[in-house]
Amino acid sequence: MSRNSAETTMRRPASLALRLTVSLGVLISLAFLAFGWLIQRSIENHFKELDAAELAVLVHSTQDALLECRGNVAALPMTVKRLAEASVGHHGIFLHVAGADGRPVFSSADIGLSAQLHAVAPVDQIDPATLQTWRAAGHHYRGTVLKLGMDPAAADRPFLVLVAKSMDMHMSYLAGFHQALWLTALGSILIAFVVVWWVVQRGHAPLRRITAEIRQTTSDRLNVRLSPGTVPIELAELAASFNEMLERIEESFGRLANFSADIAHELRTPITNLMTQTQVALSNARSIEEYREILYSNLEEYERMAQMVGDMLFLAKTDNGQLKPSNTRVDLTQEIQELFEYFEAWAEERGVHLALAGTAPAVTGDRLMLRRAISNLLSNAIRHTAHGNAVTVRLTAHGDYTSLTVENPGDEIPTAHLPRLFDRFYRPDPSRQRDGDGAGLGLSIVKSIITAHGGTVEASWSDGSVRFRLTLPNRGTPD
Amino acid sequence: MRILVVEDEPKTGDYLKKGLVEAGFVVDLCRNGIDGIHLGSTASYDLVVLDVMLPGADGWAVLAALRQAGQEMPVMFLTARDQVEDRVKGLELGADDYLVKPFAFSEFLARIRTLLRRGKTVEPEQLSLADLSLDLLKRRATRAGKRIDLTAKEFALLELLMRRHGEVLPRSLIASQVWDMNFDSDTNVIDVAIRRLRAKIDDGFAPKLIHTIRGMGYLFDEPEQR
Repeated sequence: MSRNSAETTMRRPASLALRLTVSLGVLISLAFLAFGWLIQRSIENHFKELDAAELAVLVHSTQDALLECRGNVAALPMTVKRLAEASVGHHGIFLHVAGADGRPVFSSADIGLSAQLHAVAPVDQIDPATLQTWRAAGHHYRGTVLKLGMDPAAADRPFLVLVAKSMDMHMSYLAGFHQALWLTALGSILIAFVVVWWVVQRGHAPLRRITAEIRQTTSDRLNVRLSPGTVPIELAELAASFNEMLERIEESFGRLANFSADIAHELRTPITNLMTQTQVALSNARSIEEYREILYSNLEEYERMAQMVGDMLFLAKTDNGQLKPSNTRVDLTQEIQELFEYFEAWAEERGVHLALAGTAPAVTGDRLMLRRAISNLLSNAIRHTAHGNAVTVRLTAHGDYTSLTVENPGDEIPTAHLPRLFDRFYRPDPSRQRDGDGAGLGLSIVKSIITAHGGTVEASWSDGSVRFRLTLPNRGTPD
Repeated sequence: MRILVVEDEPKTGDYLKKGLVEAGFVVDLCRNGIDGIHLGSTASYDLVVLDVMLPGADGWAVLAALRQAGQEMPVMFLTARDQVEDRVKGLELGADDYLVKPFAFSEFLARIRTLLRRGKTVEPEQLSLADLSLDLLKRRATRAGKRIDLTAKEFALLELLMRRHGEVLPRSLIASQVWDMNFDSDTNVIDVAIRRLRAKIDDGFAPKLIHTIRGMGYLFDEPEQR
């Protein structure tokens, strides 16, 4: 339920292929559009400049004509007409001259642009930047209004001259060009999207291959590994981490399988005892005393099994992180002294002396769990110490950790067996299986507890002494 | 003392009832939560033993219903699940004790007696049984007028035995009460400690006061009273 609500509140990020395709596609489209716009702009400017140059020639000759006719206002239209005729007409060029008072002096053709004469601010010379675009009678024109010469009929104020050039040819050329340009751009963009999509899909092929490989990993095929060398460098780390994860899972799986087998084996013995004993007891009539004996004997087996189950549950919970050690100050010296008090009578009876050497500042941890771990180490050591010898507990404070060593004189343990001492149900000497040293889980519990505290355990043998050493990190202040 | 046991597992229920009856309690047994709520809130019991997993209504629900009905008797939970959250939940709901299966019957009985005794004890200054007396203030033990030297732990052990005389005390309870060892130990430390105490207070005296109850624990009592 909680997983479902988490899924609904956290939206899944968009697919990588989609993200890549869209972002690359948009980028390519923008580049195409910018390029198209630039081409269009420069062609339009080019036409504008061409028009301006042509109009400038006309303006120049008109100006000459206006100067030539100075003083002879009546001859003006004829002169202007003659001079202008050379350049006007077949080029689609239009010229209209008006006096400063607005009276028409000359008009090359009536195309309906005279109204523009007073609509725009007159300029002194042709400049592409000040050219206007006009539309009249279904045609497009580009032109401007200029102040030229001096009109003697109107107090020598300049004439108003309107020049314009038909843009129809340019327009039709540009229209065709635009269409071709934008169709090409659109086509290229579409192709770009498709190609990017394809490339991205192909780029993800190694990912799909890894997925297929991972899909083949089942609990009975945990030994399969990905090969980080055959995937792209970006995926190598993923493959390596996945392999490491598999490694850990395989190891835990193996341990779990062994553990289950061990449990079955360990339970088989007491159950066989109970069954045989009960069946034999029931096969004949017996005295009350005999029945009582059998029940007592059964009770011992039951207790052993109950303790084993309890220990296994504790191990399972500690190893699965269900049992989190609390964070309190634990004075190891005091704990050891209290444990000595507890074991004192038993040790004395076995002729074993208990000694504590060294001190260490308090560590942070779970008092009950640590007590249990040290207690298991102590009972193990006392049990394996011969009469007249001593079990020595040594506390040492190091910089960032504290170590505790439980040492007792004992027979040599082969190096190969040492790390396995902490394995569940492990007994170095199988013949000594059930002489009262519990279910063989004591040292596993020590390891579980110390590991849960972030510490380490190790066993060693040298100079006739067995040493169990555990370290606990100094983890700052308790809660 | 009337005890209500709510337990659906047939064998467990029958044996709990049998054991409690033989220990001198009046016991009613019911097999599901609904009956448990009904009996518990109508009749008057000194203690209720509740299994957590029950048909009808689970142990938590039964406890909540009982408390709702104004029943304030102590409640002990039995469960096969040993989760810290469960313990916390039980204690929050007002459970008084929590015992994880499998448990030893002697442990169960000892805990029930503890719950029933709760709040009723007057702190005595002196404990005595037969000719053994324990001065709790002076921390001194005497038997038949003779002073007996005890270590601090021996004194604590004897005090526990005397306070709960007539009860079989399981080893686990002794370890937890005297040495604060709250987990099963695979050693016979308690047996050794009892043997030493016995050597001091029973050897050379009659009658013997510390008795071994095989398979269950230790009993402190005068023999003729058993």
